[in-house]
Amino acid sequence: MKSLWKTFKQGIIYENPLLMLMIGLCSALAVTSSVANGLGMGLAMTFVLLFSEIVISLFRKVIPNSVRIPIFIIIIAAFTTMVDLVMKAYFPDLSKSMGVFIPLIVVNCIIMGRVEAFASKQKLMPAIFDSLGMGLGYTWVMIAISAVRELLGNGSLAGIPVMPASYQPILFFILPPGGFLVFGLFISFNIWLKGRMEKTAKERA
Amino acid sequence: MKGTLKLGIALALFAVGACAGLAVVYSITKPQIEAQDQLALEASLRDLFPQGEDFEDISATISSANAGVNISSAFLAKRGGAPLGLAVKAAGPSYGGQAVLLVGVELNRSIAGVRILELNDTAGLGANAKNPGYYVDKANKVTFPGQFAGKFVTDPFVVKSDVVAITASTITSNSLTTIVKAAADAGVLWLENSALAPSADQGSAASYGGSAASESAPETTGGK
Repeated sequence: MKSLWKTFKQGIIYENPLLMLMIGLCSALAVTSSVANGLGMGLAMTFVLLFSEIVISLFRKVIPNSVRIPIFIIIIAAFTTMVDLVMKAYFPDLSKSMGVFIPLIVVNCIIMGRVEAFASKQKLMPAIFDSLGMGLGYTWVMIAISAVRELLGNGSLAGIPVMPASYQPILFFILPPGGFLVFGLFISFNIWLKGRMEKTAKERA
Repeated sequence: MKGTLKLGIALALFAVGACAGLAVVYSITKPQIEAQDQLALEASLRDLFPQGEDFEDISATISSANAGVNISSAFLAKRGGAPLGLAVKAAGPSYGGQAVLLVGVELNRSIAGVRILELNDTAGLGANAKNPGYYVDKANKVTFPGQFAGKFVTDPFVVKSDVVAITASTITSNSLTTIVKAAADAGVLWLENSALAPSADQGSAASYGGSAASESAPETTGGK
């Protein structure tokens, strides 16, 4: 149980897919211009990651090594398409604003990376905890980045205007360069946090 | 050889499994997705023609003259059997991919209104086109799509001359204007072909130059 908890925690800070492993950045930078998008993308991603890791971990012994990548892609693509269909059916507005980035989850390095590096070699339980940790790690960073960008760049949070009417939104933050800036600041914050946590862990030991 | 066959079979089995799963989800969500689209479209149609009682689908008989703009469907708004105007759903390329607009055309060849159904342009810039609080004319509270209402199809439709652009979003402004123009042209052509719009040299002739109208096809009914 303790090792499962550790696996789960890895994804949130120590091996955060966006801030430490630095994979899957393309869609992360593209959709984080509003909190609703960030949250929607995070959840869609977590869902696909969870089910792909479950299926691949269950079938890891019958997947021939030399065709594992095509098989992974088939499985990931199937779950991604399901998410896409469900979002179109029940959350049409969200689906519209995410546009092409939902189908693009198929080729997101986070899923491919975790499936290849973790699920294809691990038992079911660790795979579930890994996917939840990674998914949550991805989601919180997406929400945090999009909150900063939406607040400064559009004067609102989750679509609700929070800044006084006199506030002139800084468009820079909604645009890609602003995304890079906020993203960079988050990476440095995460590295600082990790350093501090390691220090306290050492002192305790 | 035998090994390769085995790999192929393994791959095929996974593909079959994935397809089965997808088929189930697809069949569950399909009616819901269609209902959502229908709902959104109907709401927009009623929004454009509030007096409209029923909307006849005339999608099969309308086509776009502009190769870049695709007309996916069109509806004739009627009240008590009398036509009120035409709503044309048109899609064309914009900055962030495809944009889908619904353009209402009145019988007098003016634009009843423009609604944006789908637009994926940059938030804070191009996406302001669908922001109800973004005004291109602050004094009169006119939004970007709102400014088209009342324009005649024979107007120039040139951004920064008779169409006010969205700040720092020239591409979005240009693309949307092109789609509106193409949809309105197609709508007017259909009205003329169905003899629903007064011909160019009578009625409201004073309001427009008549250049586009005079090239239009002879006044035959467009096989309904």
